[in-house]
Amino acid sequence: MLNRDPARWPRLLTALVVLALLVPSAAYTRFDPFALFQPETLSTLAGFVAGFFPPATGAAFLAEVAKETLTTVAVASVGLALAMAIGAPVAFAVSRGLDAHRLSGERARPLAEGGKSALRAAMVLLRGVPEIVWALLFVRAAGLGSLPAVLAIGLAYGGMLGKVYAEIVESQPAQPARALAAQGAGRFVRFAWGVWPQALPELISYTVYRWECAIRASAVMGFVGAGGIGQLLDTSIKMMNGGEVSTLLIVFLLLVLMTETVSRFARRASESRAGLAVVVSAMLALFVASVAWLAPGWQGFEFAALPRFAAEFFPPDTDAATLAELARGTLETLAISLLGSAIAFFGGALLAVPAAGRFGAPARAAARLLLNLLRGVPDLMWAALAVLAVGLGPAAGVLALALHTSGVLGRLFAETLENAPREPETALVALGAGRVAAFVHGLLPQVIAQWLAYTLYRWENNIRIAAVLGIVGAGGLGQQLYLALSLFQQQAAASVIVAMLLLSWGVEQISRAVRRRLEA
Amino acid sequence: MKKLAPALAALSLAATAGTALAQDVLRVSAIPDEAPTELQRKFAPLGAYLGKELGMKVEFVPVSDYASVVTALTSDKIDMAWLGGFTYVQAKERGRVVPLVQREEDARFTSKFIASAASGARSLKDLKGKTFAFGSASSTSGHLMPRYFMQKQGIKPESHFKTVAYSGAHDATVAWVASGKVDGGVLNASVWDKLVEGGKVDTDKVKLIGTTPAYYDYNWTVRANLDAKLQKKIAAAFLKLDAQKPQDKEILELQRATRFIPTRPANYQGIETAAREAGLLK
Repeated sequence: MLNRDPARWPRLLTALVVLALLVPSAAYTRFDPFALFQPETLSTLAGFVAGFFPPATGAAFLAEVAKETLTTVAVASVGLALAMAIGAPVAFAVSRGLDAHRLSGERARPLAEGGKSALRAAMVLLRGVPEIVWALLFVRAAGLGSLPAVLAIGLAYGGMLGKVYAEIVESQPAQPARALAAQGAGRFVRFAWGVWPQALPELISYTVYRWECAIRASAVMGFVGAGGIGQLLDTSIKMMNGGEVSTLLIVFLLLVLMTETVSRFARRASESRAGLAVVVSAMLALFVASVAWLAPGWQGFEFAALPRFAAEFFPPDTDAATLAELARGTLETLAISLLGSAIAFFGGALLAVPAAGRFGAPARAAARLLLNLLRGVPDLMWAALAVLAVGLGPAAGVLALALHTSGVLGRLFAETLENAPREPETALVALGAGRVAAFVHGLLPQVIAQWLAYTLYRWENNIRIAAVLGIVGAGGLGQQLYLALSLFQQQAAASVIVAMLLLSWGVEQISRAVRRRLEA
Repeated sequence: MKKLAPALAALSLAATAGTALAQDVLRVSAIPDEAPTELQRKFAPLGAYLGKELGMKVEFVPVSDYASVVTALTSDKIDMAWLGGFTYVQAKERGRVVPLVQREEDARFTSKFIASAASGARSLKDLKGKTFAFGSASSTSGHLMPRYFMQKQGIKPESHFKTVAYSGAHDATVAWVASGKVDGGVLNASVWDKLVEGGKVDTDKVKLIGTTPAYYDYNWTVRANLDAKLQKKIAAAFLKLDAQKPQDKEILELQRATRFIPTRPANYQGIETAAREAGLLK
């Protein structure tokens, strides 16, 4: 059955506006797709890629890689523990699912409500600043090493956990907590006996999922000098040592694969009571081992330097030259995200067709492998590599987003293709239509709306990412932040961070409004 | 898990307390103006020599970017650092530091402008509308002074060139120009000479197109609260190095110095002025 897309006009309009913006974006980011295929670029690239083989296997290097891989896992684990220490109490304090005035019709106390709003705002700020920016700030404030990375993950993820834990509490059936409230039980009792038993599996499962994300985040912290596997990658990339880069990428992908497996296993295990106990003990053991591994490197981290450093950011720089630079950086960030997402739409679509098994099983497996590879390497890593391929600047950001997002979208597109009914296409073929025509008229109309919706959603996400890619030299606001912090111009850095927050907030408001319109 | 937060805090507190020990190790670092492996190679014999002269262990702390060396020195995490003129000024602005010695060459240091042969450029003017790379944004010879001298000639890099990029290090700038990733660039004269002498750069592909006027650059700086006697001993050890002695010659050659001379803060006044005029110091 072929459903007409009820939102086809707004979608078509958006698509047209996007297309109309692509040309100036390409000019603005100086992204020249043809330059990628010029002989000298190709020979530089070929030289670098050829240098990937064979992967470096020197004993000293491998020992270093092993050490930094452990650090990466340890940083993610301790960072997540810190995030839990921030997120759990906040969620307990702010979750609406525990409020007496919502459970038993008691009157709300304005002071307490005000406090909760303030806590919620603080959480928005914590997660609004990307973890890589936190890491860069801590590195500048108090020195290199793993502690800045731990704090960065702790703060950014703490903000996220605070929100999601609260939502999980809210999503539980309210009857037990309501019954307890009716008996006059306090907030803690309502939580401990009314919510905790039923919410625990979901809380643990979400935490394990976040741990998986934290490992990927921890792996790129080294780009700002905060240790781990990213630090080695950064050095190898700067030195154009292809063999080392490929070893590191292989190790990283294996690590991600392993983490995903462990995480899937742990999430399934946390559905049963015994499994839950095992998962929680494993988390504790991992935490203790991680602290033991990292703590010797924490010597000399100056907590005392933090308030002084923070004070240097005020007031944010607002002179005309800085603001003009910020406007330029913001436009560049938008252009990078738009062009990168648009290219990814086409890249994803091209890969989705074989990945959906339309050219046989071997092509399907190959396309899936490629998609996983594109998706598995984080945007920041792609950006660092893209800087090598196309030089520093926004073009590298475009390429990085295009590659990573192609992997993400390709997988989603392939799923939509596989789930779409085949009858219209089969009917067209039976009537004598060619394969391409049957695909274009029989299948594509059913999936295109979904594809565009996915792409728009990803674009929103990519705006936030484009804002930080510049930390590794790929243009946009991130590059301005990195330069300002390198030159100890904290007030200018503060302005860039405010611009990042405003951009991310603005995009969220617009997208929420658009989605509400589409749903209405 | 909540119980673990205090434990975490206690642990890191214990870690911080461990730093205030009597001085038996001299922790030394350097701005990473060249590849990390090259920095280690350059430092090894100097470190051994200083260890012997001072009668204490000398430890090299590798650091990934310029600004981190400044932060480490001004927060007493390292005792001594090899700084550029600009990073010295930044350190002086942010904490209390003492410049001890510099190479004789540093009193009349220069930067070299280079361009790829393929670009056809023979001067900075020819590079108008082309791509250009500085070294690190915090570099004196790879960024600040070339920018300052360009500005004096009425060239504003951001509008003169098509793009301005920061390669991060001097040897990286050369690699970028050689590979055609950028059309032109600028780097420290001493690294350029070393690469040319060592045959590490193909001069058919990378052309020298200009040299800046001379200025004061690199020095060895210590944190001001380092034991005064130790400061004197360090300076004396550097000043004693003599190119006539074979064992000293190796150290000096790796440092690309004919000899070390005493230095003082006033030598870097020019750098500070240039940094303010170029808008890099506010």
